Amino acid sequence: MTDVLTTLLVWPLPWVLLTLFVGRLFPKVGPLGHVFAMGGAVVLSTVFFGAPDPDGILSALLAWPALGAIIALFLPRQWGGGVRTYASVWLWAGFVLSLYLLGPVVREALAPTPEAFAEASPIARFFYSHVALPFFGEFATDPSFGFAQAGYQLVEDTPWIESFGIHYKVGIDGISLWLILLTTLLTPLALDVSWNSVNTKVKEFAFAFLLLEVGMLGAFVALDLFLFYVFWELMLVPMYLIIGVWGGKDRVYAAVKFFIYTMIGSLLMLVAILYVVMQYRYAPENAAEVITFDLERISFLMLPRTEQLVLFFAFALAFAIKVPMFPFHTWLPDAHVQAPTGGSVILAAVLLKLGGYGFIRFAMPLFPWASRYVAPSLAVFAIIGIIYGAYCAWVQRDVKKLVAYSSVSHLGFVMLGLFSMTEGGVSGGILQMVSHGISTGALFILVGVVYDRRHTRDLADFGGLAKVMPAYATLFVIVAMSSVGLPGTNGFVGEFMVLSGTFVSQTFNVYQKVFTLFAATGVILAAIYMLHAVLKTFWGPVTHEENEKLEDLSGREKWILAPLIVLIFWIGVVPGFFLNPMEASVERFMSTWNARAIVAFQDDRLRILPGGLPEEGEEAEPAPADEAEEQEEAEAARAPADGESDPHAANLARDADGRLARLGGTR
Amino acid sequence: MTDTWMLVGPLLVVVAGGLVMMLVDAFTKEKAELALVTTVILGGAGALSLGLWFGGPETVQPGLIGSFLAYDRLAHFLDLVICGGAGLASLLAGGYLREHRIERGEFYVMLLFSAFGAMALVRAVNLLSIFVALETLSLGVYGLVAFRRASPRAAEGALKYFLLGSFASAVLLFGMALLYGATGQTGLGAIAAAIAEGNAAPTLLILSMLLLLVGLGFKVSAVPFHAWAPDAYEGAVTPATTYMAVVVKAAVFGVMIRIFFVGFGDPELANTDTGWPPAIAGLAAVTLVFGNLAALVQKSVKRMLAYSSISHAGFVLLGLVAAFELRSEAAGDEPLHTVMGDEGMSAVLYYLAAYTVSNVLAFGSLVLVGSYGREAVSYQDLAGVARRHPWVGVPFALGVLSLMGFPPTAGFFAKYYVILAAVESGGSLVWLAVLAVVFSAIGAFYYLRVLVFLFMKQPEEGAPIAIPMRSGYVVAALTGASYFVIRMGVTPEYYLSLVSQVGEYGGELSATTFLWDAGLAVVASGIVAALSTLTTGKADEAEAADEAEASEKAAA
Repeated sequence: MTDVLTTLLVWPLPWVLLTLFVGRLFPKVGPLGHVFAMGGAVVLSTVFFGAPDPDGILSALLAWPALGAIIALFLPRQWGGGVRTYASVWLWAGFVLSLYLLGPVVREALAPTPEAFAEASPIARFFYSHVALPFFGEFATDPSFGFAQAGYQLVEDTPWIESFGIHYKVGIDGISLWLILLTTLLTPLALDVSWNSVNTKVKEFAFAFLLLEVGMLGAFVALDLFLFYVFWELMLVPMYLIIGVWGGKDRVYAAVKFFIYTMIGSLLMLVAILYVVMQYRYAPENAAEVITFDLERISFLMLPRTEQLVLFFAFALAFAIKVPMFPFHTWLPDAHVQAPTGGSVILAAVLLKLGGYGFIRFAMPLFPWASRYVAPSLAVFAIIGIIYGAYCAWVQRDVKKLVAYSSVSHLGFVMLGLFSMTEGGVSGGILQMVSHGISTGALFILVGVVYDRRHTRDLADFGGLAKVMPAYATLFVIVAMSSVGLPGTNGFVGEFMVLSGTFVSQTFNVYQKVFTLFAATGVILAAIYMLHAVLKTFWGPVTHEENEKLEDLSGREKWILAPLIVLIFWIGVVPGFFLNPMEASVERFMSTWNARAIVAFQDDRLRILPGGLPEEGEEAEPAPADEAEEQEEAEAARAPADGESDPHAANLARDADGRLARLGGTR
Repeated sequence: MTDTWMLVGPLLVVVAGGLVMMLVDAFTKEKAELALVTTVILGGAGALSLGLWFGGPETVQPGLIGSFLAYDRLAHFLDLVICGGAGLASLLAGGYLREHRIERGEFYVMLLFSAFGAMALVRAVNLLSIFVALETLSLGVYGLVAFRRASPRAAEGALKYFLLGSFASAVLLFGMALLYGATGQTGLGAIAAAIAEGNAAPTLLILSMLLLLVGLGFKVSAVPFHAWAPDAYEGAVTPATTYMAVVVKAAVFGVMIRIFFVGFGDPELANTDTGWPPAIAGLAAVTLVFGNLAALVQKSVKRMLAYSSISHAGFVLLGLVAAFELRSEAAGDEPLHTVMGDEGMSAVLYYLAAYTVSNVLAFGSLVLVGSYGREAVSYQDLAGVARRHPWVGVPFALGVLSLMGFPPTAGFFAKYYVILAAVESGGSLVWLAVLAVVFSAIGAFYYLRVLVFLFMKQPEEGAPIAIPMRSGYVVAALTGASYFVIRMGVTPEYYLSLVSQVGEYGGELSATTFLWDAGLAVVASGIVAALSTLTTGKADEAEAADEAEASEKAAA
């Protein structure tokens, strides 16, 4: 508690104060001045205090926007635009704070070993020892913190509601790392986008964004099922208000649809969560009837197969609605079209990712057999989503709707990658989530730019914009290409990995090649609808008089887009920087999942695997997961599979062999 | 002997307060101050119950009290809920009655006597005392519903309530007569013993059980015995509606627990397949489905809240069945005498407490939105209120979110706890829990409409614009209720332990936390209320702006 408070008071708070002070002193400098002021403040705090304590950094990240939201409530209404400046600076400080999480990533990239560091280029050496090390401090030097280890990092665990076994437990791993950074980057960007378009109730707007960030970050870091549920629901209200209060013409319809869709899914998930917790409590091994919502413990619970299926569907419904997977996607175009630009950006870039994240973090590990059993069927829905979304995007006249349907299509790739259960597929799926957040976020920003000027989004109202707005056209084409998946941009890496992962996947029985073929048509269709939109908007003569005097991108808009453009190429050219931290976590996720799917297949009864119960006297430390799993796995592989004739069983056994071989064991 | 007086102390305080209030009413002109006095009396009774909870004797000698009125923590807990709900309702009345110029002291007198009936009801363990207490409770409420004499709607609602209520009482009485006929006893414990001995005729027993269920189902407005509720709720003055929605329900659920778990606790009459548990489960399912669907199509917010309170009754009934299932799993063939403190029963009690504060918040905000000559009842009346008066929107939104069951509010934990109990008891109750959450998701739709109108709509052109009333009393009630909605939602630990200790005496829990909470809530209410009256000048400006806006609209 005090750690968190110290972190907040010494690091982000002075950044905000100094930046606001400089902004007030020199009102003319604009965004650039703010960036420099913030940078200077970070340098100053680094020089004087070094880096914050890694313990409690996640709580600090969560508490920061929450604190900002509370303060925002008490700011004077008359301040108007000032409230927005305050909220924006506050959120950017949160982003810089979240950069500390990159410490071990930078270490792994530049100086994994002393020898490697000695051989690195002088610039890299200088950067690492004079910039990165002082800034990251303990984050980079602490060997126990790093994404090369598989388990959860920076875990904080305090009892919240003891009598229910509910804990405040947060932690990150390679899977959630990039999603957290995506959130902290896109939220301030989305707020800045609305600089000129939202002029009513600015205070409430800022409040909603700050609160929304709390919910999103919380959902990404929660390791307690109950805590996750609370954050998951917490996101709903601010987003509902953002769409419903500042949205377009049919905003109320869209907002209510969004809310109800998500609420139905999440309430069923709540029942499923409770059911799982009760099964854990009354499992034969749990003689003391320990009740817990801790994800790490509960994932040791093996449920009977039919129960797994039902519960998996309850979870999957909640997440599939959020992703959104075909046929639950209908809320998305409505919500996107009606939401203000900032709301669309957040919705596309971060909120939708929570669906995919929920699958990989909760639904699949908790119900391994069921998720394996239905993976081919869900993959079919993912592919239908890819193709159907692309076709729908093709025929849209409204650019925002086009981008919304393209999201349905792109997120189909994410789901396909996750269900393929190959290393490439899963890490490709996660990277594709991040890429999609960046590209689609940028697309919505760009659409918002032209909407602010023309108050229309109809493709027919444009044409020849490249002559009038050259910078805008350039950036739009770059972002469109990244969305299409042009090599060298971020979209290509993710989609390619997903497709290659699907091609060799074993979960899809014999259909993996067919699946890949159909999914690949999605890439082609993406090129068609995107190029179609670019053609209609930018090339040819200027057909409408109103378009002749459109202003090109303003300085602020360029500044907002710049980080996204940089990231598009960064991920596209050096994907390793982003993929390496994921590797260990993905590997661990897949091996446990595989092993447990086999265990569930061979023995269909309710039990808790070894390691899933608190040991005598050591309440906090769960037994190291890997050992227990390897034992189970070895057992599983040794025992003759009782349905050898079943192709599914054969598949499973083959998997076990492969896994065993990798572990160095023999059959 | 002094002990005996002390044991029924809370009852005596309320009834003496009611008598004094009749006198005071005759001699005062400032009726609004009576609201404060009523709240203080109820607060005193609540404090006495709390004292008995933490410091009272652990057992009672069988005697007059023992055979007619129980002395246990269930009664004391429900005392707190009743006193809290009634106290907040009387604060609302303090603002409401003055604003609408129907300020008469009888309101508080009736409210106090009715609360006395409610408090007697939750400790009644004899068919005679149950009936007398129930009638005391109901007669007061009939009067409260009819309080706005000049309004035909109030008269209609009151008449409907009175007629149907009388029928229900008759049905209840008939059931009691049959029960007496079957067992020859009137005490619930003695009835249970007689049933266990096998002396009772099963046909009579089952018939009496059915009649009692119908009578009580009427009082808690479970579907299909709910027909009176929407009209009575809509016709009554809003503080009386609040009182009906929270206090009457809490008291009747309390006596339901006693009758069914103690009187009919015999395994023959209570098991998963036959007897009352499946009947109540069916009632819960129908109530949940119908209450939510009917609330969906209402055009009046007050009526919507009436139907929503019906659907909440369904949730409590679900909790009762879950409590039974859990209990019977644990107890085997033992009779269900000691049900308190079980997870299911705690869930029910927590639900009642959380539901009380959330409902006070929702109804109280509705009171606050209206002003003289224009009471806010329809959705249209709420249009844009939160845009013009943000601080009015906050308690309303909080109350509605809590009723919806949105984390982290008290209502969420209440629903969560009930669903937890249902899921834990397993079997078909899991499906009932799924049904309950699906229909709460549907419920989200009509609660959201309140938010939609508050925050997102503007009043239609030419429509009169709702101007919030200015009343320190209402603001104080809302602040207190908001405090508990948040307190019981964010850190519910203490209150969860409180309800789980209803069963036993002793326990490690101390009263300090509760006293702190109550004190903080009172202080916060006082401060906010004072602030709201001090800033009257500003509010006047806002009102002027409102009127200007209205005339502008009219001109356009």
